[in-house]
Amino acid sequence: MSWARKFSLVEFSVEHPRLVVALTVLLSLAAITQFPKVKTDTNPKNMLPPTAEVRVSNDAVERTFGLYEDMIVVGIANESGIFNQETLGKMKRITDEILKTPGVAARDVASFTTIDNVTVKEGTLQVSPLMTDVPNNARELEGLRKQLFENPMFVGRIISQDGKTAAIYVPLEKGANGKAIADNIREIVRREGGPENYHVAGDPVARDTFGAEMFKLMAVFAPLAGLVMFAVRYLMFGDLFLSVVLMMDAMIAILWSMGLLIAFGFPIHIMSSMAPVFLMAIATDSIHIFNEFYFRYKEERNKKAAILKTMEAVGRPVRYTALATATGFAVLLFMNIIPVKVFGGLVAFGTLLLRILSFSFVPAMFTFVKEESIKKASQGEEIGSSRASRFLERLAGLGAHRPWTVVLTGFALFAVAVAGTTHIVVNNNMVKWFKKSSEVRTADRVMNEALGGTSLGYLVVDSKESEEEFIKTPQALLYIEGLQRHLERLPYIGKTTSVVDYVKRINRVLHNNDPGYEKVPESKEMVGQYLFLFSMSAKPSDLDNVVDPSFKMANVWVQLKTWDAKAMRGVIEAVRKYQQDNPLAMEIKPAGIAYFNLIWNDEVLWDMIKGFLMALVVIFAILAVNFRSPKWAAVGYVPLLFTIILIYGAVGFMGKDFDMPISVLSCLSLGMAVDFAIHFINRFRQRLAESRAAPTTESIEEALLWTAARPGKGILRNAVLFAAAFSVMLFAPLTPYVTVGAFIVAMMLLSAILCIVYIPALIVLFRKWLFTAEEV
Amino acid sequence: MTKRKFTTMSAAASLALTAALPSFAQEADPAKIIRNSQQAFFYQAESFRARVKMTLTSASGSERLRELTMLRINMPKGGDQRYFMYFHAPGDVRRMAFLVYKYPAREDDRWLFIPALNLVQRIAAKDAQASFVGSDFTYEDVSGRDVEADKHKLLREEENGGKPCYVIESMPKGSASYKRKVSWIDKTTSIPLKEEYYDVQDQLFKEFMAERVMEIDGVPTIMKRTMKNVKSGHKTVVEFSEVKYRLALKPEEFSERTLRNPPGNWIK
Repeated sequence: MSWARKFSLVEFSVEHPRLVVALTVLLSLAAITQFPKVKTDTNPKNMLPPTAEVRVSNDAVERTFGLYEDMIVVGIANESGIFNQETLGKMKRITDEILKTPGVAARDVASFTTIDNVTVKEGTLQVSPLMTDVPNNARELEGLRKQLFENPMFVGRIISQDGKTAAIYVPLEKGANGKAIADNIREIVRREGGPENYHVAGDPVARDTFGAEMFKLMAVFAPLAGLVMFAVRYLMFGDLFLSVVLMMDAMIAILWSMGLLIAFGFPIHIMSSMAPVFLMAIATDSIHIFNEFYFRYKEERNKKAAILKTMEAVGRPVRYTALATATGFAVLLFMNIIPVKVFGGLVAFGTLLLRILSFSFVPAMFTFVKEESIKKASQGEEIGSSRASRFLERLAGLGAHRPWTVVLTGFALFAVAVAGTTHIVVNNNMVKWFKKSSEVRTADRVMNEALGGTSLGYLVVDSKESEEEFIKTPQALLYIEGLQRHLERLPYIGKTTSVVDYVKRINRVLHNNDPGYEKVPESKEMVGQYLFLFSMSAKPSDLDNVVDPSFKMANVWVQLKTWDAKAMRGVIEAVRKYQQDNPLAMEIKPAGIAYFNLIWNDEVLWDMIKGFLMALVVIFAILAVNFRSPKWAAVGYVPLLFTIILIYGAVGFMGKDFDMPISVLSCLSLGMAVDFAIHFINRFRQRLAESRAAPTTESIEEALLWTAARPGKGILRNAVLFAAAFSVMLFAPLTPYVTVGAFIVAMMLLSAILCIVYIPALIVLFRKWLFTAEEV
Repeated sequence: MTKRKFTTMSAAASLALTAALPSFAQEADPAKIIRNSQQAFFYQAESFRARVKMTLTSASGSERLRELTMLRINMPKGGDQRYFMYFHAPGDVRRMAFLVYKYPAREDDRWLFIPALNLVQRIAAKDAQASFVGSDFTYEDVSGRDVEADKHKLLREEENGGKPCYVIESMPKGSASYKRKVSWIDKTTSIPLKEEYYDVQDQLFKEFMAERVMEIDGVPTIMKRTMKNVKSGHKTVVEFSEVKYRLALKPEEFSERTLRNPPGNWIK
């Protein structure tokens, strides 16, 4: 039924080409009108819905302790130390300018000139900013140095151990643009100039810089990919007109689907920004139509007849490959991550559009081509004379003549690859999405070497005791202190801060600055009065950030020296261990951006694994329906699985993290890589049926070699074009794009070769099983 | 009483003048208005006592409570003042006491009694703009700011809550926690009814409201006031009760000895 309808669509398009083309152009113009409405969203938080548990609990923790979602860390480094008037003067001016920057939560910026310090001098206790004015002389400089290094709350936080790096912590108001503020700060420090080095780091910088770069990249790489494909196609067919048609085919699908997405009010995010390149690559599937058209034209010598015959021959595989590809993307609609859903729906829709165009717009355009140029173009399309065809024939011959050697080699490779997959590490690190030499990554590395860490997690210690204000008890404070020391043993934890640090500091200061009193005092009453004393002049946020108003909960700040999601997992494990060894009625819950990164990383990952399994099942089902046999489906499946295992083996051996981009790709790759098997097996069985020969060893071999040489050429062209489109991504300055590019190039070329070598080998080996089953 | 009558009359007169000669009204000296306002706000009568309840509310709605008794005496010369604060709540700070000698043009002297250590600790008063006991009020908001520290400008005159007010903008001459402050000062009582604080980014960040003004012992007194940090969502409500003016207090009663043994007749 649907076949008949599609067929008539082709006929209609060939009969009324002008109408079809005019209609297509009109719809495309309508889609273009939607583009000015485009909105973007680069916040990874929105990957999870606002109702997600981690977002709700993080929001609650932020509200309870008056914390900020985002923090930028500015580093000021001087090789000869920062304790001189020039550097300190610069720090003061930089802080003043940062405070004036819109979007900065000025009241809670932590710098030398704003951070509260508790000191005692000549019997007078003082809670005030560490440095109100730049020291005037050597004695004052020495005084400042002494104050900094004698207070453990400062060392590793605002000053490095070696006194060469100082930091300013800049919290951002909700909804502020991290990149805009980071750019502003970079401008401020640029004006101050050297010899100091300045570094701007932190999650909002990485995230918003990535977002901005991403759109710039796509504006460059999508057209570039289009251009490369155009050039490669021209080299393949030597016909400008047909190259243009294919390009238009892709462009129209992109315009329609993106236009519709924007019209529905969806924002564009990192994933859907890659959709144009994916659609361009998927559009190359129409290459099979062109490939066959040239062969047919040589046989028919009549344009219209050649078009109709072509569509009759390739219609079925083209429809099924489209279905398989669309399905691969459509499974993403069942995921939890919103942008992944949008991306899946967008590309699936675009793929279906491409197919409709293949049966309408493409045939219509064929009618405009001059017969001479087709003749010229189809000159090279002869199995005997085409070098590519002869190479493919030999490749398929390898499988057909030495099936055992091929299969056993396959087994050996398979075993090696499986060994490789055991080395895979599941991890995600947003800072590593930038290249090593990039400003963002350099800043982060330098700051993490010198200071306590740019990534921030929280541990909320919640008392389950019935005693009121339990956090004020020495017992609770010692428990928290023990937790801090336990965590600081982990190599990637630079610094932890809690209410205990304030209490110890005040205890010392009230005892004549005697270091022996840098400890938790013995009674709850003392703790209460110390904290009250502190709050008499400190900023309200100092205490609010570390204890809740009822002193039932304490918040431990954990600074991590890496953005690796697995680091926060390590923290959580260490906490569990500490709780086991130190039983007390305290609950410890993780929170903060580091925890969020861990959760959404896991969420994306498991979502994708779920999607991958779903795609495996659905694509097998599509193959089984298409071939009307699960056995043939299994044969078509082998090169596909083999390709994926080989790539994962390589990922494992290379020590590349199994991160978000890779997990998304694994899910998609199935739907894209299966196309070749569909074309190959469909055309092989068509050929065998056409020859009306019994499936003997000879006839099977003959059909296999023909398939490899003729539709196989289409497969190879398809793979090369697809790979060409994505190869431009290898030159992107952001690593996820490089990963996507490398993954797809490898997958396309591998699966094409494996398809042409292994399907013949398997068919020859299992011919009895395959053909008896069919006849039964 | 006669004094008050005079104030009302002069206010009425100035109002009449305002209506007749708007340009003349521009001549009103903003620094003087502020000085009068500080007088009416922080110096009323020669001594004062109140039970103070401070409610600190965080953005998430959770509350912290501070309860204290406050005593004040004006010294005979130069605008010096002494404050004594005795804390009743929260429970673990009971018996803590705070003594402040305030001098208009130089740093205060402050002492705190810490009962757990039986220690009287001298506390530096370098930063007058630091938070007062963790609230949204600063020490300055509680005991006044040097009029000379700011440049004052009369922006306009308008009604606030039905009361004619001067609207004055004050810009700190040196560094301060705010870039500018706009005050609505009641023409009749000279009490600030509303204040807006703008931060370095020139955005409103703190808002003061005198919510209930009552006349006690003939002195207009703000019985309930709120300071709200509009940026952080944190706010502090201060409520006065048991207010009394012109007590039989002597300057000597504001001493270190008082910190350890608060005067029982004033503090219950």
